[in-house]
Amino acid sequence: MSMPNTIAEPIESKLDFEHYKRKERIKSWAKGMLFLLPSIILFTVFLFYPLVRTIYLSFFLTNAAGETTVFVGWENFARMFNSPIFMQSMKSTFLFVLYTVPLTIIISLFLALLANEKLRGIGIFRTIYSSTMGISVAAASVFWLYLFHPSIGFLNMIVTGLGFERIGWLTDPTWALIAVAITTIWMNLGFTFLILLGGLQSIDGYLYESADIDGAGYFYKLKNITIPMLSPTLFFVVTVTIINAFQTFGQIDILTQGGPQNTTNLIVYSIYREAFVNYQFGSASAQAVVLFIIILIMTIIQFKLGERKVHYQ
Amino acid sequence: MKKFLAVLFMVFALLITAACGSEGEAEESDDTSSDASSTSGSNTDAGSEAESDEKQIVTFWHSMGGAGQEAINAIVDAYNESQDKVQVNAEYQGTYDEALTKFHSVAGTDSAPTMIQVFEIGTMSMINSGQIEPIQNYVDAENYDMSYLEENIVNYYTIDDKFYSMPFNSSTPVMYYNKDAFEAAGLDPETPPATFEEIEEVSKKIMEANPDMRGFALQAYGWLFEQLLANQGALLMNNDNGRTDTPTEIGFTEEQGKSIFQWVENMVNDGTFANYGTNGDNMVSGFLAGDVAMFLQSSASSRDVIDNAPFEVGVAFLPHPENVDREGVVIGGASLWMVDGKEQAEKDAAWDFMKFVQQPEIQAEWHVNTGYFAINPAAYDEQVVQEAYEEMPQLQVTVQQLQETNSSYATQGAVMDMIPEERRIVETALETIYNGGDLDETYNAMVEQLNAAIEQANAARGE
Repeated sequence: MSMPNTIAEPIESKLDFEHYKRKERIKSWAKGMLFLLPSIILFTVFLFYPLVRTIYLSFFLTNAAGETTVFVGWENFARMFNSPIFMQSMKSTFLFVLYTVPLTIIISLFLALLANEKLRGIGIFRTIYSSTMGISVAAASVFWLYLFHPSIGFLNMIVTGLGFERIGWLTDPTWALIAVAITTIWMNLGFTFLILLGGLQSIDGYLYESADIDGAGYFYKLKNITIPMLSPTLFFVVTVTIINAFQTFGQIDILTQGGPQNTTNLIVYSIYREAFVNYQFGSASAQAVVLFIIILIMTIIQFKLGERKVHYQ
Repeated sequence: MKKFLAVLFMVFALLITAACGSEGEAEESDDTSSDASSTSGSNTDAGSEAESDEKQIVTFWHSMGGAGQEAINAIVDAYNESQDKVQVNAEYQGTYDEALTKFHSVAGTDSAPTMIQVFEIGTMSMINSGQIEPIQNYVDAENYDMSYLEENIVNYYTIDDKFYSMPFNSSTPVMYYNKDAFEAAGLDPETPPATFEEIEEVSKKIMEANPDMRGFALQAYGWLFEQLLANQGALLMNNDNGRTDTPTEIGFTEEQGKSIFQWVENMVNDGTFANYGTNGDNMVSGFLAGDVAMFLQSSASSRDVIDNAPFEVGVAFLPHPENVDREGVVIGGASLWMVDGKEQAEKDAAWDFMKFVQQPEIQAEWHVNTGYFAINPAAYDEQVVQEAYEEMPQLQVTVQQLQETNSSYATQGAVMDMIPEERRIVETALETIYNGGDLDETYNAMVEQLNAAIEQANAARGE
């Protein structure tokens, strides 16, 4: 492989060169893998293996320890789609996403626009608006649990004070999902507000200055500068909020436990109950697979449709 | 590349030396500490090492929160102080459901506890897990006499003539009522309603006297439904509540099952029913706030309710339909399980603790501090209990109710591993009725789902 040799014998040198190139390629591939290794190992242990295992489990019935007992093929899936309880929980989940996602984003965008104004003491308001971020799901849910209390809750005191009938916030099937949605919106506001405010702050001031010179009004600027420039942030927030809404668990567990009449039995809660209360790990896995596919499809659709409208600087 | 390798090697070498170094240090510090103790103490020749050898550690998982946790810690402390061979470490592991789930996932490993408190409906699931040692083995080995325990408790926990677990905390459902509200409505507070029909009547009268107060609340809780069934002598599961063979379908008749739904529907239509859904805490705080006059709940909360109510609280037997006699109630609560796969010495220590818990004076304290009844009837003669009864005669009701229970398959209670799921299905059906759902439709859907769940559970066990 020494240099003089390669000059003297050109044919051999070409082969040698190929060989050397291949070796280099393998080496750089190996080096690349070495850098990727930590994340590959972590993803395999915590994501890929559980994913494969879940798909495997979804074709079996299991005993209480989660060991597979009988292979049933697609039966878990078939039973699931024929079950009115699962259909109810699908319906509730989509309704819940519909209730929470748009409202969370609209309200927090509104708050972010307010807090983006340069006023004395605006920092106080920014802190207040983003404060729900620092509250854990459990604490927030317990706090709302008392507000929703049927007889001594604050909300019902207002309602009866205004001369209306008491509302069974968490016990009436028409209200329960709305009550949980209100709680969730309140809890998510802080995070979405903060991200959106960050997005607003990073918009260049010269755009507004030149619009001002042209004599543009507030809403014109909002529509033609703020929203387009904010679109990458909005896109991120929409994606994250939708995924969060699909995976809602804590507030359900504390507020309603899936009741009344399964109206708040959102899919993740339903998976939890199936696996850890009923010990049916097979059908729980089948539901988890369905949830995975739904979120996957939603995300793909968003990237295909949403990203076209997103304006990157 | 060479440089990189060299750096890598050096880092590696550094790690090794560092690891060795810290190990050595640890050993050293151990030595010094034992040295110090042996020099400072007068005769600590045994040292810290030998001491940990001496005391047998027993890990005890339980699910008692709040007042129950304080009471259980008191028992454990008393036990640890009573002798110097065994150290019981009580660990709260969340609700019964959560603790059972955790147990199933660690069973057979080193992290499994020596002893775990499991609720009555987890009995079958524990036996099926194959990770437990029936305490019958110890009872036989020592000729330990279990017959002094409360008869109905012995009945529940004997499966195939075998004791699998040691009964511990047991309660029955009772009806709590607001005596002041009864008086205000011109009713006799000392004769509470005993049947479904009487409750409907009384509820109407209470609402007439005080339109802000509802008559009756039934938490959507599967356990209460089971109890109301048993009180009519109905079986929850076929095959004698699963006592003679694995159940294949539900055991109650349409008339028995519907009587409860019909009763609730009548009260919903009368407007006398207070709907708290599945939330027991809301129901209790509603009762304490004077929002509802009567409700059903475990006797385990009696101490709590009586202490916190600003009015006179009455405690009465569980109601039954007028046309059937009272059969009695099923034992609720939990028992202590011995986990298999531990060293014999550890299991012996756990067994010793289980025997300790049965003692009358321990059971007496437990009874008055919580409202769970004493599983050892001798406890009722203890001074503490007698004093508590004088102050709070309501505590006695739960004991009387249990002692007046007829022993039958119905009141022995069902054993089946899918009972948690059964409860969920029943709770959904009850909630549908509370919110004005159609009775026949709801009932039929419930029965269909229950039978499907039983079938599924049997299939999952590979039977």
